[in-house]
Amino acid sequence: MADPYEALGVTRTATQDDIKKAYRRLAKKSHPDLHPGDKAAEARFKEIASAYDIVGDDKKRTRFDSGEIDSSGSERPPQPDQETYREHAESHPGFKYSRQWNGSGPSDDDLFAELFGAHQRMRARGSDVRYAVSVDFVEAIVGGRRRFVLPDGKALEITIPAGLKEGQTLRLRAQGEPGFGGAAAGDALVEIHINPHPTFRREGTTIRSIVPVTVAEAMAGAKVPVVTVSGEVQLTVPRGSNSGTVLRLRGKGVPSKTGHGDHLIELRVILPSHPDDEFVQTITQWEANHPYNPREMAGQKS
Amino acid sequence: MISESELVAMIALLESEPLRRWIDLGWVLPQQDNATFYFDDSDVVRVQLICELHYELQIEEDSLSVVLSLMDQLYTARRSLREVLGAIEAQPAEVQSCIGALIKSRRAEQAADISTS
Repeated sequence: MADPYEALGVTRTATQDDIKKAYRRLAKKSHPDLHPGDKAAEARFKEIASAYDIVGDDKKRTRFDSGEIDSSGSERPPQPDQETYREHAESHPGFKYSRQWNGSGPSDDDLFAELFGAHQRMRARGSDVRYAVSVDFVEAIVGGRRRFVLPDGKALEITIPAGLKEGQTLRLRAQGEPGFGGAAAGDALVEIHINPHPTFRREGTTIRSIVPVTVAEAMAGAKVPVVTVSGEVQLTVPRGSNSGTVLRLRGKGVPSKTGHGDHLIELRVILPSHPDDEFVQTITQWEANHPYNPREMAGQKS
Repeated sequence: MISESELVAMIALLESEPLRRWIDLGWVLPQQDNATFYFDDSDVVRVQLICELHYELQIEEDSLSVVLSLMDQLYTARRSLREVLGAIEAQPAEVQSCIGALIKSRRAEQAADISTS
């Protein structure tokens, strides 16, 4: 144990008041309850306290000065059982002063509010993922359910709504990137492209197609089978139809909120592929008896 | 739990009047039953500390309110930190070493910032 005067940084001739002041100054600097976890401060404080225990007391100081007791002669009984404030504050579960103290009493917020508050803010919905897929022409019109394997390997079951438009984007809830911190997943945004059809064309809710007929079917009238998006129907070709005659199949077009569109069929009269003598003769004779000028009829100069 | 009179008898420097004031200031948070206060172990050590700081180290009450406020914040932060450390200790070894390496590299970055600025 060091010399108590030295420990307190005072001379042997210091007054009792000087010693007290020196003790207070040093004790404030190293009080272990004000320096938790600082072992050096704790050791320093013990030394100061036991030094002060001797020379801070008039009678003991006299005994020490006369050599009656040495620097370890602190007679303060050891207090191993007495709990210190820091032991309480550091280790007792639910220590009630262990809260931020704001002058008017304890408040509930602590480091964790900050720490996990930050995590709360980091809760984020997953990002949306964009995909593009193509569907068949008829599928886009009548709708249906189909499984797609996407470029990233993800398989998605997609319901194609009837009457889907080219480039329309479907939003599939929670099929995008997973969320962070328990937040919802993002959506998959699937842009749908429609493959062209060999015979059908689509203009809004109207479908157009060209149906070939024979000369006799056009002239005499006939019932011919035609394909629509909703299946095959018998089309009545009226007598006296011609190439370019447009027939309307009502309600056979694209479904929409305002009802089904129509399917417009343009007839195309197709002559036989190879000139046949009988056909040529008959037609030539008929034309000689019934001359007509289709270019004039079409408003063109002959 | 001990009563107010027991507490005053137990701590040599303590008197009732300043104790009441400290309770009013929120420095000590005893349980109150009608007009009687009951002090648990943590109240006892707290009053002991306040007495020591105030009477022995002569820290005036105005300053003491600052000291106690900072002290409470310090202990709270230490408790919280210990909980975090406990949680880290419960992690697999590779997570622990990741956290350790991260702290180390952040400190090195900060040291570099200080030396270049």
